[in-house]
Amino acid sequence: MMRARTPLILAALLAPAIAGAQSSASQDLGVNGNVPGSCAIGAPRLAAGAQVNFRGLNGTTLQIDQMVDPTTLSTNAASAEVRFEAVCGFPHRLRVETQNNGLWQVHERGNAPPEGFGYAVPYRASVRWADENLRLNADAQIRRIADSQIYIANNAIGDLLLRLEIDPGATNERANAPLLAGTYGDTLRITLEPQQ
Amino acid sequence: MNMFKLVPTALLLAASASAASAQSSDTAGPLPITGNVPALCSVGTLSGNGTFPLGVLIDTSTGLLRGDLSAPPQVLSAAFCTAQSTITVSATPLQSVNATGTPPGGFSRTVNYTATASGWTATAASFTTGAATNPAATQSRTTAFQGDISVAVGAFSTGGGNALRLVADPAYAGNVTVTLAATN
Repeated sequence: MMRARTPLILAALLAPAIAGAQSSASQDLGVNGNVPGSCAIGAPRLAAGAQVNFRGLNGTTLQIDQMVDPTTLSTNAASAEVRFEAVCGFPHRLRVETQNNGLWQVHERGNAPPEGFGYAVPYRASVRWADENLRLNADAQIRRIADSQIYIANNAIGDLLLRLEIDPGATNERANAPLLAGTYGDTLRITLEPQQ
Repeated sequence: MNMFKLVPTALLLAASASAASAQSSDTAGPLPITGNVPALCSVGTLSGNGTFPLGVLIDTSTGLLRGDLSAPPQVLSAAFCTAQSTITVSATPLQSVNATGTPPGGFSRTVNYTATASGWTATAASFTTGAATNPAATQSRTTAFQGDISVAVGAFSTGGGNALRLVADPAYAGNVTVTLAATN
């Protein structure tokens, strides 16, 4: 009887010890952040060579040099341009607000002003920003807060230009009326803010 | 008188069986036994939540990219490869998710950064978004290994230049991918 010999081959693959192990494995990681909407306006700077009858900037105060013509005692012409570096990172609104709607006496007397005298001075404020123009007429007819605004559809960065103009002889009474003595003033506020 | 000899068959068979087993020793075989371990990799277990939260990206007083952006590293614990391997890191820049239009002049919607994966190779794998080339993005290891991989992000910069301001968007997002690949 022949003796039979049969090779017995055992072959096995070791199964992966950890589920998911493969010849190549990856892990994704997210990186997240946010940028809030913000606007910023820098300090005012007088535009060189563009001021008439203004002494200049004292801090943030624009001072008129000669308020009245010594001959007529009426308003002298005056103009100035002021630049502000500004940026707004989202569509926004430009708003210019006048506190008094004209140059009014800082310290008003209780009595009615004498007839024929002016006691407030109108002026025009023009703002150029992001290729848009805004105009505010402070007509000095009623002492009140007044504003003007425009919407800017894009982000913007650059110089915001403010131009102030006072016409010669401009008063809240008739043109070329003499002005009552006193200190005259107004406050302008320029705002860049989210559209609402 | 004829006689028939009857020899019991069973007895004959039993005699035959006994004859077959009557040897001093025998061996079965050789019996080859083989096994195979495939080259496998696993990135292990992520220790954090899988994100690098940077928060507000800008200095709100200037609108420019903050210079102190940072986030804790993410760790891949107990990663392993059963053979020599390569580690590769790739990343996409942070970009505004909602404001997808071309930014106007002076603005950017992109933040670049460098992602690094260390702990696997002597030289960390690193990838800088926005770079023309990333020669260090893939590093090699010549032995099987198991260990932790630390993934970090840093060196942030505004796409187009740090003088540009970032457009407002509540969501800026990017992604880092770490890959282990076994090589035989």
